[in-house]
Amino acid sequence: MSQAGNEAILEIESIAFAYRDKPVLHDINLDLSPGRILALLGPNGAGKSTLIRCICGRLKPDSGRVLVAGKNPLKNAEARAATGLVPQQIALYPHLTVSENLAAFARLAGVDKKALGPAVAETIEVCDLRAVAARPAGRLSGGWQRRVNIGCAMTHSPRLLILDEPTVGIDPPAREAIESLLTRLSGNGLAVLMTSHDLTQLEILADSVAFLSEGRIAATGAPSGLIREFFGARRDCRVSLADSPGTELAASLGELGLESSDRAARHWGGLVDERSARHMQSRLPEDAPITELRVRRPGLDSLWKHLYGRDPERVA
Amino acid sequence: MIGTVARVMWLALLRDRGALVLAFVLPPLMFLVFAEVFSGAGESDLEMRVAVLDQAGTPLTGRIAGSIVKLDGIVAVPDASGSGPLDVGDLEALVRTGQADAAVWLRAEPDGNLDADPPVVVIGDASRGLAAAVVTGRVQRVLQSQFPTLGVARAASLVDALAGPYTEEQQDALDLALSELDAETLEQESGDTSQDGLVAQRLLGGGREIDDGVSYYAGAVAILFLLFAAMQGAISLIDERTSGIVDRLVAGPGGYTVVVVGKGLFLTLQGLAQATLIFAVAWWLYGMDWFGHFGLWLVTAFLAAAVAAWLGLLLASLCSSRQQAQTASAFVVLILSAIGGSMMPRFLMPGWLRELGWFTPNAWVIESWHGIFWRGDGPAQLATGWGVLLATALTAMVISIWLAHRLAREK
Repeated sequence: MSQAGNEAILEIESIAFAYRDKPVLHDINLDLSPGRILALLGPNGAGKSTLIRCICGRLKPDSGRVLVAGKNPLKNAEARAATGLVPQQIALYPHLTVSENLAAFARLAGVDKKALGPAVAETIEVCDLRAVAARPAGRLSGGWQRRVNIGCAMTHSPRLLILDEPTVGIDPPAREAIESLLTRLSGNGLAVLMTSHDLTQLEILADSVAFLSEGRIAATGAPSGLIREFFGARRDCRVSLADSPGTELAASLGELGLESSDRAARHWGGLVDERSARHMQSRLPEDAPITELRVRRPGLDSLWKHLYGRDPERVA
Repeated sequence: MIGTVARVMWLALLRDRGALVLAFVLPPLMFLVFAEVFSGAGESDLEMRVAVLDQAGTPLTGRIAGSIVKLDGIVAVPDASGSGPLDVGDLEALVRTGQADAAVWLRAEPDGNLDADPPVVVIGDASRGLAAAVVTGRVQRVLQSQFPTLGVARAASLVDALAGPYTEEQQDALDLALSELDAETLEQESGDTSQDGLVAQRLLGGGREIDDGVSYYAGAVAILFLLFAAMQGAISLIDERTSGIVDRLVAGPGGYTVVVVGKGLFLTLQGLAQATLIFAVAWWLYGMDWFGHFGLWLVTAFLAAAVAAWLGLLLASLCSSRQQAQTASAFVVLILSAIGGSMMPRFLMPGWLRELGWFTPNAWVIESWHGIFWRGDGPAQLATGWGVLLATALTAMVISIWLAHRLAREK
């Protein structure tokens, strides 16, 4: 559906933005090429929504520039036509069938009448919506509605797809279906920019991530590269205990570099070097009431905690 | 727990200023407006615009004309600065065009001649029959209270006709009594004096086949429901804002303006269909000559539908939530309809409210349709009303589109 190319479809150069006197974005630089998936990460208020609004041409940056397909989305309809936005809400007409929704949004995105039928048919095919094409959107399950929500942003063949929390509130099978869809779309050459609080999902899905903190980019790069850069060979260790530990066990856990994360001190975690991780079990007292000992490579959630000093927010 | 729920609702209301105003300020305001509109309908409070023609031109008719225009609740038209009506044709034109609610034609000096036509004629429009009846009653009261000899003279003439001629002595006594009565009764009530035969009432257009009120209420009801339906339809703008559809559309090449314009087009066509149904019923059941005036009706219907559509969209653009829009639209429609004459003819309202009515689309729409079907108005007479409706629709459209544009580009 999308045209693949090597040039960046999205270029963000040193943009800054302030709401009245309150700075929201500072010196943001990002780019995204066709066929790539970039995830914007950050706690609430970090500036993700403002950045997306700048990309969509709804907000004018105070300085710097945003280019979509080489043009300014604030002034150029072609740049906006190259963008498909999937809002976090289910932005559909509930009384219209899926096909009718697709057709309506295609027309509103500028698809002419002759091309409408093929565009809707192709979207149904790509997004695998045949089973529900004739059903009213308002009567579909949350998972199907999410997929139709994405489909409605695809009918005009955008080159950049922006998704705001595309899998929020849906069950694992539906989430997998959407992940598979996004992988397929990016495989077809579509550039995908998304926000999500599901860091495990992004670790698999995203080619690159950008952590925003108070309007600045705190870290950006491929997930694996970032994790390596920040944590090297260290491992993420988690220990759960049946009871609060005694003085000896608490001291041992502390010596290993673990910290308790709850008041009863039953859950301990931290980043430890590879060697300590490997011998973790043997370095703890034999009678320690361990219910779970988990050692894994650090993930984006570890990086989140490292950058923001707290666990990632969970969005149901 | 029950108290907690009540407290939560109270706090939510307290912190939503829009809802707070709608909940506590609008109801008394609404009451005030409705009280003014409907309490003014009591006959004693009605303010009538009356044209008076003293064709007889005698001292007595001059005094009668002067007494009529000085009555409380009578506003003489044309006013003192303008020239009065020249002949009965002018009087009828003033009534027909709605510039006067009724007219008083003093065609001869009242006397005791029972065979002559009534010397005072109240001319009214059959579609505003109540106005003619009210003015007739007031003229009769003036004659009774301020010119009681007229009634006594007619009663004496009646006795003379029925019981044989008076003797010379009786006639002298009667003349003396009448002169004394005339001298002392200017300030007395003489409620028992008969005024039969002095005042006649003539209704213009009364011979038509359709019910007098049909053309009025077809228009009055049509604009009321056009406004209601358009306001409800326009609320979908708010639903689209909250559901994220606007975010999606604004990011695209078409933007949000096309959505607002598209809704305006749909609501206009919907209003046209509603007006068509109402007038089709009037034509079918009451024999209204719809097809005889179809072209003029269609232009008015289109303008009425466009005004309703764009006022609805403007209101929805200004409201931030569905609840706010629903309450505000109900308020706006009820007020416009009450003041504009959809619920009660405007001639039954106090004068200031009647003038205020011209600031509502209802008044212009009702007047235009009524003029077409009742008075047979043509484009020249309708031009002002059409102009006002067109200007209102265009103004509401421009502001709605500007608000949509502002929403799309936030800074």
